[in-house]
Amino acid sequence: MYRLSQTLTDAFSRRFSRTVREDYRQDEAYASTPQGRFWLAVAIVGVLALPLLLPPYPLFVTTQILIAALAGLGLHLLVGGAGQISLGQAAFVGVGAYVSSHLTGDLAPLGILAGGLVAALIGIVLGIPSLRIKGVYLAIATLAFQLLADYVFKRWTGFTGGVAGRTLPAEATFLGLPLADDRVVFYLGLAFAIPMFFYAKRLLSTRAGRAWFAVRDNDLSAQLSGVDLVRSKLTAFALSAFYGGIAGGILMHLIGAVTPENFVLAFSIQYLAIVIVGGAGTVLGAVLGALFIVLIPEILSVMAGAFGPQYVAQLSAWRSVAFGVLILLFLILEPRGLVGLWGRIRDYFRTWPLPY
Amino acid sequence: MSKTLLEAHDLHLSFRGVKALVGVSFSVSEGDLFAVIGPNGAGKTSLLNVLSGLYRPQQGRVVFLGEDLAGQSPQQRVRKGLGRTFQNLELFRGMTVLDNVKLGAELAVGGYTDLVPKAQIEWKIRHHAEEVLDYLHLSPYRHVPAGALPYGLQKRVEVARALAGRPKLLLLDEPMAGLSLEEKQDLARFLLDARREWGVTLVLVEHDLRAVLELSTGVLVMSYGEVLYQGAPAGVRENPRVAEAYLGRSA
Repeated sequence: MYRLSQTLTDAFSRRFSRTVREDYRQDEAYASTPQGRFWLAVAIVGVLALPLLLPPYPLFVTTQILIAALAGLGLHLLVGGAGQISLGQAAFVGVGAYVSSHLTGDLAPLGILAGGLVAALIGIVLGIPSLRIKGVYLAIATLAFQLLADYVFKRWTGFTGGVAGRTLPAEATFLGLPLADDRVVFYLGLAFAIPMFFYAKRLLSTRAGRAWFAVRDNDLSAQLSGVDLVRSKLTAFALSAFYGGIAGGILMHLIGAVTPENFVLAFSIQYLAIVIVGGAGTVLGAVLGALFIVLIPEILSVMAGAFGPQYVAQLSAWRSVAFGVLILLFLILEPRGLVGLWGRIRDYFRTWPLPY
Repeated sequence: MSKTLLEAHDLHLSFRGVKALVGVSFSVSEGDLFAVIGPNGAGKTSLLNVLSGLYRPQQGRVVFLGEDLAGQSPQQRVRKGLGRTFQNLELFRGMTVLDNVKLGAELAVGGYTDLVPKAQIEWKIRHHAEEVLDYLHLSPYRHVPAGALPYGLQKRVEVARALAGRPKLLLLDEPMAGLSLEEKQDLARFLLDARREWGVTLVLVEHDLRAVLELSTGVLVMSYGEVLYQGAPAGVRENPRVAEAYLGRSA
């Protein structure tokens, strides 16, 4: 009996556990095992196939998740990476959206890219206070930026269309495909998002990421390990804003319009919530966080609708309360965020039939 | 006579009324294990902070490799090969031991915050870091967050991080404080090995007089910011001013 259990355990651990890493190269690879590579490929193919499987509204929500994940990931590079707090991510999303609204149609990818770059430039400017101030004070500085951006979005009518915003022409096409079709926007977004996710992952595990983590953990010591604080912080701000700007460009195409209320402080806080709920430290955290933050309200409203149409109005207030309670519970029960939970689930199944 | 690596000329530093350094001058030659000792508040750490650029002296010059370091930022000095460790641990606690050491190793491999990751350079850094980890017997802990290690090991990680950058001169601020006897012996052996293997010149601030006298090739004794004695370790015990500072005035 003992022999049998041992053989089984061995077989399972060979199959499901990470195999022993034999050299440094394996140790540093993304997906070091055949299983890991297999699931990574399945995930990518699955995401690519989503528009063929999903009805329009769920696809709309999925694209929203993608956008939130991208903006959240940008903020994650800044908050989880370099340890600088920012309450201005929504403003960068807005900058990206407004810039790309001026350059759409066949040039849509270029417009989105331009939005990202303009946001990055503004990000560098916003990063300058971080060279002198830290923590809560920096949060207030970025808050001021957020409010200022909100004001500019509403008042600079020549560029932003004021409170009414700007609308994407309904007949706009990208290489002959209608941009009003969410499937087109989804693939357009994915074309930006997938490389950017991998880039972020690589960045966090190489020198730029180490320099950021060093600044986060101990800036005195980072300096005396040769890290250029100024450069490190400013690149973190610029990249974070770039990710936000790209997300904004995609959001503009998804909604088909830009209006200032998509970029208010509440959204900045939502992006921060994605980072915190997702769990610091990894790209996966940003994706899981976005999934949670965008999907839960949708699920709650479906649940509210299931009680019957007459309750929807009453229950929609409770929806926000339930959402808040869920986030609170999460932070208390699983401080490492969704990533920590995911790790536990994975470990459980890795040793599944014979946990010891 | 080996060549002079670091020179301090007439350093003065005061915080308002408190004089931390009063005309401190000394020089360290290549291959030395130079010890700075003195009672609490003697200005030893202030001296290191001036050398590594965290404090700016009111007067005096620091010359490293024949170049005046005035006006150079701490990270510029580190990149020139002037490494530093701290008395109170200043590790990157959330990073793994390997990442801590890799960050140090980047100094030796060159370049910094690179937004275009290059696999070749990463392997170089990794190999470099692993060599140091191996040397300091830290390999088993490479994937452990540095903050989760016991104190003695954290001290060793800090030394490893500094050594990974292959500094020409390493300033160590009380590397042995708070360690047990065995840990002290281990660390002393690692430091001596590093000096022999990589030709690192060491400047050591230390309280443990015995360790200093056994290890060092040159000693600087300080008290209240002033230099009491500079020279061979053998002469320390005979010097009347040192005896007075350490043991009190005899009746």
